[in-house]
Amino acid sequence: MAQDYAEYLAINVLNEQQLISYRSLSRALKVHVNLAKQMLYEFHRKQNAKKPGSVHATYLITGIRREQTPAQTNGVHSQKDGEDTVMQSSPPLPESSAPVPEESAEEPVVVRSVLLVKEEHLAQAKTTFESITGIHIYSLQANGLNDVQSLTECNRKIAVDYASEDPLVAWKQYGTIQNPNVKRRTARKGPPPAAPVTKPAEVKLKQPAPAAKSTVPEKQASKDSNTNSQDSTTAASKRASKPPSAKATPEPTKKPAAVKRQDSNIFMSFAKGKTKPQKEESQSSVEAATPAAEPEDETMAGFSDEEDDAAEEGAVADVGEVANEPEGKSKRQREAELEAMMDQEDEVMEDASPEKSADGDEGAIDKPNSQHPQQPAKDTIIVENGRRRGRRRVMKKKTVKDEDGYLVTKEEQAWESFSEEEPPPKKIKAQPAASTNKSAAAKKDGKPGQGNIMSFFGKK
Amino acid sequence: MSTEATTLRVIIAAFTDFLTVAIHTILYERAIYPPTSFLSARKYNLSVRQNRHPKVCEWINDAVSAVETELLKGVVGRVAIVIYTKDNHPVERFMLDVSRFPTVALADLDTPLERTAANGDRLPILPRIDMEEQFRATLSRLASCSSTLKPLPEGCVFNIAVELKQDGQPPLNHPQPWMPVQSAKGDAVGGQLQKKAVPVRSIAAGELLLECWIEEADGAS
Repeated sequence: MAQDYAEYLAINVLNEQQLISYRSLSRALKVHVNLAKQMLYEFHRKQNAKKPGSVHATYLITGIRREQTPAQTNGVHSQKDGEDTVMQSSPPLPESSAPVPEESAEEPVVVRSVLLVKEEHLAQAKTTFESITGIHIYSLQANGLNDVQSLTECNRKIAVDYASEDPLVAWKQYGTIQNPNVKRRTARKGPPPAAPVTKPAEVKLKQPAPAAKSTVPEKQASKDSNTNSQDSTTAASKRASKPPSAKATPEPTKKPAAVKRQDSNIFMSFAKGKTKPQKEESQSSVEAATPAAEPEDETMAGFSDEEDDAAEEGAVADVGEVANEPEGKSKRQREAELEAMMDQEDEVMEDASPEKSADGDEGAIDKPNSQHPQQPAKDTIIVENGRRRGRRRVMKKKTVKDEDGYLVTKEEQAWESFSEEEPPPKKIKAQPAASTNKSAAAKKDGKPGQGNIMSFFGKK
Repeated sequence: MSTEATTLRVIIAAFTDFLTVAIHTILYERAIYPPTSFLSARKYNLSVRQNRHPKVCEWINDAVSAVETELLKGVVGRVAIVIYTKDNHPVERFMLDVSRFPTVALADLDTPLERTAANGDRLPILPRIDMEEQFRATLSRLASCSSTLKPLPEGCVFNIAVELKQDGQPPLNHPQPWMPVQSAKGDAVGGQLQKKAVPVRSIAAGELLLECWIEEADGAS
């Protein structure tokens, strides 16, 4: 370990002439930042003992500064962004200070300053401080640092290279300041998403993540960072970009499962008329599939799993019932239910066989009452989900063939599959082709359906 | 911009953006203009320096577009940012070797380029992320170069020069943005003095192949 850091620093600072800050050293060697600061100090001391001036350091001083002349205090008190700091060329100190806590305005304000100084200005900077609460090496470089802003590159690299590490886990190792009350947000019942499901899930994940992490970088920034506003904002934004990449990986794995859950939940809505809560729960289960597996996430996932099982059973039963109904119902209702089936390609196949058997067994089984409430339920679904736009189109079409219930079901199946965007549903259309000429009519009706689908694509 | 087909024009446009930023960086690092006249900007996700004076910016933009015109003709071998002393002796040169850009006929400037690997796979012509990363690295190196180079004397000025390829036609049209400079031994500008070359970086991002180094004249005052 002791040898590692000397080797690492020798390679990076001397040979490659990179800028190494204590933070990048701690991430690279997986050590606490305080240890990294000590490593930097040791290396600096040894190298300069061997060959003076081979390694330059930039220091960070925290403390309370003395009262300064008005010419200079402008820079201290009105410190808002790094640009003003750099513009100050009269004081030889390249300063960037951030007054952190300020007391009441009436009393003389005690300003705690955080200052980044090059080593050549270190002694001078120390004299400007009335009391120094902390001083350590911020970074090492082989040659002098001309532009203090190049230090921002260190933090950007950290955010990029170590984006996969979970800060809630890693903070103990690295010593980042952590708010003990912070926790990752889990489920979010947001508005229904746009067509892609993953996008809103990722967006929602991004929002809780930066909220959690903004406490961390802000505290760090207040303590010891380069007060360049660019630095803290880039750090915050870079950390924000970290978690989505971390969460993007588990998301695709959960996506197919979540989509299925969503489908069966939709079916449940047809069966029982409660659409929103289940749909949202399935969405929240997608978001809940984060690496930080908290108990809330698991309960949510478990809950939706239970829902799924019940949903699938209800779905099949309902389809069977619907299939047996003869004419007299508006096709809307049947289309509505069977539209849900189109989401589940597998389940549509399964439903075909029980339908056939059920049709043979039972006669007309009227369930008008159960159907009517389903219609308004279907309306709501269509309104909410953009993906079901396709269904809305099918609803309007309403191919009605009241003569033969059996064929009607098949035909409606085809209809719904057409309203769906995927090509596989078209295979389902091939199934009823085996039936009588009424199925030919079904195909014919399918073509206007295809026209609908093309307009669907055109809109997209 | 990632959706449009990558043509040579796109490659050259990316290079000229980089050239503009590099010129500003060099001006800041070598203190050609006072540091207070520079503001912090962000390019390629890196904080860079940009001069604020409108005349300086205008001059740089004009110079870079003149370089672009020559690049589009495909005659440029190298682009040099030369620092002269008050007596017009070149002290330093920041070289960018662009001779390895793809050469296409004038009619094909807007033709999408294609690149296949040895096994027949299609490769990206200009991978943006790689390119940005390499530009960032080059600019960081340029930004830290000032500490390695000797300090410049007072009152230095700078200029941009292009060295043409062997068969290149010099741009002698009216109005004439370029001034032909004769140098002895057919060598590049400032070729007389003994030079010390400090490599900065070489960039290879798809078809954008670039090399950057700094030449210091040892005999400079």
